[in-house]
Amino acid sequence: MNSIARIALLFLLLALISGCAKKTLVALVPDPDGKTGSISVESAGGSVTIDTSYQATTLGDAKTQPSAPVQMAKETLDTIFKEALSVQPKQPLHFLLYFRQDTTLTPESAKLLPNIIATIQERNSNDISVIGHTDTLGSKEYNTTLSKDRASAVKKQLIKQGAEATAIRTTSHGKENPLIPTADNVSEPRNRRVEVVVR
Amino acid sequence: MKSIYREFLVATLVLISTLAYGADMDHAGIVKSLEGEVTIARNDQTIKAEPNLRLLEGDVVQTGPNGKAGLILEDDTVISMGFNSKIAIKSFMFQPNEKKLSLIASVFHGTISFISGQIAKLAPKQSLIETPYATIGSRGTHILIQVD
Repeated sequence: MNSIARIALLFLLLALISGCAKKTLVALVPDPDGKTGSISVESAGGSVTIDTSYQATTLGDAKTQPSAPVQMAKETLDTIFKEALSVQPKQPLHFLLYFRQDTTLTPESAKLLPNIIATIQERNSNDISVIGHTDTLGSKEYNTTLSKDRASAVKKQLIKQGAEATAIRTTSHGKENPLIPTADNVSEPRNRRVEVVVR
Repeated sequence: MKSIYREFLVATLVLISTLAYGADMDHAGIVKSLEGEVTIARNDQTIKAEPNLRLLEGDVVQTGPNGKAGLILEDDTVISMGFNSKIAIKSFMFQPNEKKLSLIASVFHGTISFISGQIAKLAPKQSLIETPYATIGSRGTHILIQVD
């Protein structure tokens, strides 16, 4: 009886340990474009910054500071994250379209439309964003209206060339998400664009 | 009588625009790729995930013992999940024009690959990944997270 109770207690302890321990590993690896960013990992016990590829920190509880960064082999990380990485979707593709004064595409940009349609088909995408952007010249209202009109014009063109209307969402980022950052009230043709994102 | 009609019309229009606006506001991304059992917990419902399923802010995504999933969020964040993994899209706002930018993802357990998107670039402080023991802040990068 005593030994059964002891075994039961042991099982309970094991269950507690395995159930509670949420050992955590956080690793930094290169971006899809090859660059390496930086991360900070912060627990109640302190924080650690990592800015070198294939370095990692580990934690065994919330009260201790995350471990100092340790170098890991790429192969080790590839093994641990094999399943997750095997279904990693391709990065969304961005196309930039430019306009004449009004809502008519420049001839160069109009030529891109068939490429966009081909990408939509290749990725079997039902999630396409058409985003209007402006430069910082002029009022917010004026720019918002113009960029919305331009986004709508592009949506119409895409539907005409075979895209599903229900797969396309149009939005406007106004002057808040520029391609080329500038001060306010600066004319910058490269920021006057419609961006098509195919996911 | 006329004014009642008008009020009804106004109320209907308000309702329709709220619904349309609300649906758009909630949109966070899609399930792009998956294998095996993958479920989404939304409010009190459990939805079986399918490719191209739309994800909303607040969704909890879980993979089974043989399940894997790849997600793409509206701001280009790409998240992929290995077996027995569970995450939540706790907060998602990507409206640069209104200066509303926020992405808080929670990792409960499993193996996760996280490639940050535009929110991390435009508002690094509003882009966080929570794990049971620590919070990860990032600036335009690829992170691998394992929580046992």
